[in-house]
Amino acid sequence: MQGWKYLSFRLIVGVLTLLVLGCGANPTAAPANTSAPNASTSAPTISATSAPVATTSSPTTSPTTSAKKLSGEVTFYVSEDADALKGFQELVTAFGKVQPDVKLTLVNIPDGGDFLKRLAADFAAKTPPDIFEINYRRFGQFAIKGQLEPIDDLLAKSTVVKASDYYPAALDAFKFRGKQYCIPQNLSSLELYYNKKLFADAGVALPKMGWTWTDFLSAARALTKKGTDGKVAQYGAGIATQVIRLAPFIWAHGGDLVDNADRPTKLTLDSGPALEAFRWLVELQTKEHVVPSKEDEAAQSSQSRFQKGTLAMFFQSRVVTPELRNTIKDFEWDVAPIPSDKNTATILHSDGYCISSGAKNKDAAWAFTEFANGPEGEKIIVGSGRTVPSIKSIAESALFLNPTPAAPPANNKVYLDMAPNIRRVPIMTTWVDIENVVNNEIKRAFYGDATVEAAAQAAVKNTEAQFAQNNKDLGSQ
Amino acid sequence: MRWKSRSRLQPYLLLAPYLLGVSVLVFAPMLLTVVLSFTDYDIFNPPQWIGLDNYAQFFQDTRFQLALLNSLWFVLGTVAFRGIGALSLALALNRTGRAITLARATIYLPSIIPEVAYALIWLLILNPAYGPLNLALRTLGLPTFPWLQTELTARISVVVMAGFELGEGFVVMLAALQMIPHEVLEAAALDGASRVQRLRTILLPLLVPSLLLLAFRDTALSFQDSFVPALITTETGPYYATYFLPHHILSQAIGLFRYGYGAAMTVVMYVVGALLIGLQYRVLRRGNAADEI
Repeated sequence: MQGWKYLSFRLIVGVLTLLVLGCGANPTAAPANTSAPNASTSAPTISATSAPVATTSSPTTSPTTSAKKLSGEVTFYVSEDADALKGFQELVTAFGKVQPDVKLTLVNIPDGGDFLKRLAADFAAKTPPDIFEINYRRFGQFAIKGQLEPIDDLLAKSTVVKASDYYPAALDAFKFRGKQYCIPQNLSSLELYYNKKLFADAGVALPKMGWTWTDFLSAARALTKKGTDGKVAQYGAGIATQVIRLAPFIWAHGGDLVDNADRPTKLTLDSGPALEAFRWLVELQTKEHVVPSKEDEAAQSSQSRFQKGTLAMFFQSRVVTPELRNTIKDFEWDVAPIPSDKNTATILHSDGYCISSGAKNKDAAWAFTEFANGPEGEKIIVGSGRTVPSIKSIAESALFLNPTPAAPPANNKVYLDMAPNIRRVPIMTTWVDIENVVNNEIKRAFYGDATVEAAAQAAVKNTEAQFAQNNKDLGSQ
Repeated sequence: MRWKSRSRLQPYLLLAPYLLGVSVLVFAPMLLTVVLSFTDYDIFNPPQWIGLDNYAQFFQDTRFQLALLNSLWFVLGTVAFRGIGALSLALALNRTGRAITLARATIYLPSIIPEVAYALIWLLILNPAYGPLNLALRTLGLPTFPWLQTELTARISVVVMAGFELGEGFVVMLAALQMIPHEVLEAAALDGASRVQRLRTILLPLLVPSLLLLAFRDTALSFQDSFVPALITTETGPYYATYFLPHHILSQAIGLFRYGYGAAMTVVMYVVGALLIGLQYRVLRRGNAADEI
């Protein structure tokens, strides 16, 4: 998905392999006791934690939904890359042991665009997936069309999970008009991945909680190095040119993206602290040159540079962790909070399991949803490294903080320490398209093809229609 | 009598499966698209008739206008590139020999590579720092360009990228060339016609029907073919420079559940495609009488 944007030989080889295998959507109902390469990490997890659910298999005596013997077919759509998919396959296998008569089909559609196409086609054909995994920035447009099953009652009655088990920041992100629609599987946020060796070589203090924009900039300057040919051989930092990257800087500087978070009517990027934060971020490139220029980014992406050890600090959410673990072998890396300004703020990255209102088998769909996002399931999925668990007790356990066998980043606590500072973009029916427009403007300013003011004004003006449409959608329901 | 009526029916019977397929898979969806374009349709709820509202929106939707304009130059550019390329290569390789066979296979190759892989190959070729194209230019002491990073070069790049997929056109031109009777060319040579004269007065007029066929087909295809390559190589940028109609249709219809509006844009694609084909027909057919071929 995001991989398209990062050219690397690895990706090309991967894509070619996929093409050869003719694999676009791979239904994966993995057999039990699958011998995946990282089964060693997950096996102890399953066996060590199988107490609460797996043993309640006396169907006649137990009144709870989770213990009820269910059957039928359930489809579950995800959009994950290969590194993360394994965790989902293990999840499906584990669920098979709890509900052996439910035939759960996991369908992975790796490309985000294809995923939405497939969802749209299946919804149009009135055969939606029973469960699908989607980002909180996108679920609103399904919710407003009445396509999602409200789950407040199911959650209230569940014996597997309680609302209070979850980080409010993650659970609330999937509320729409007072109703809970999806269960978050993770509470990720934008943080800073850094190369410890480059910091040590340059004699720069490691980033820590509460470090400031000024600290960050001076570190980035010290970590940007020119080669013998006069070109930049090592960049201090790298960041994608997207709204979801810019937003936390705006919040940290005391501004906001929109005029009213609950009922937004326009972007407020073009004035006050929002504009100042936008300018600060842009000047990292246009003035400070501590992040790759347009050509350098095209030649080799920031992520690829970070993986190769020629970029010191890389802004990303938790999702990149499995890939960094697999590709970085010759230096130590860790994660730190993104720098603070007037406030400490970061942005929510969370995916939820949503049940379609048209699902054929809602009981079984809910059973899987509560299992996957309950303590059992999250213990499995945390092993893949992809997620920051949405359940507090799992996130605060050693499974997440100090996994065995040990794997970077060491400072997993960062995601939890930053949890109180997490904010999110507004839930809007047209938010996806607003991101399309504004990302283009951010990119233009960031690479010096337009002034910050011009880009900000264009962003505001060119999203007026989407805000109007959102208000129309909300008013008409 | 009976035999005769059957023979008249026969072609239609033979065509029937194909006609059925085309009706169900092409014409029916096309008609449906036209109908949907007058509705507000989100795929979840039944379509609501809204008359010309979708079409009226074109006047406010600046991204649509930009995408339409981009699609137009892309289609014109690739159709011309492919037409001229296929013709020149067919003329050059209308001979026999082992090297010729190899060359023909090479020309066909880009057309059979899956489009994602093809686009990724170009992404490598056009890499500003490490791409073989810029390395070659640098070695030769020529100026290099950030091909996909500035508007003009990005536009040229996507046209060239699509332009090299001319294998099928090349095969059609080669076949058309080989159908031209040798006697005609020999007679012209005996009468003292030069190579250029033979090309202009004999070959080209005789090739017009095949060229027309190619141009029609390419025009219809190019509108859609712009989608994947631009998404992968330029990410539709820099700043909308390679943002084409299919991108906008995808973002509006599938991204925002605005299928009625998407249908209206698709209808525009049909109409513009048909107009372009009509225009090509007039230009290429003007002043020559090659109808017999």
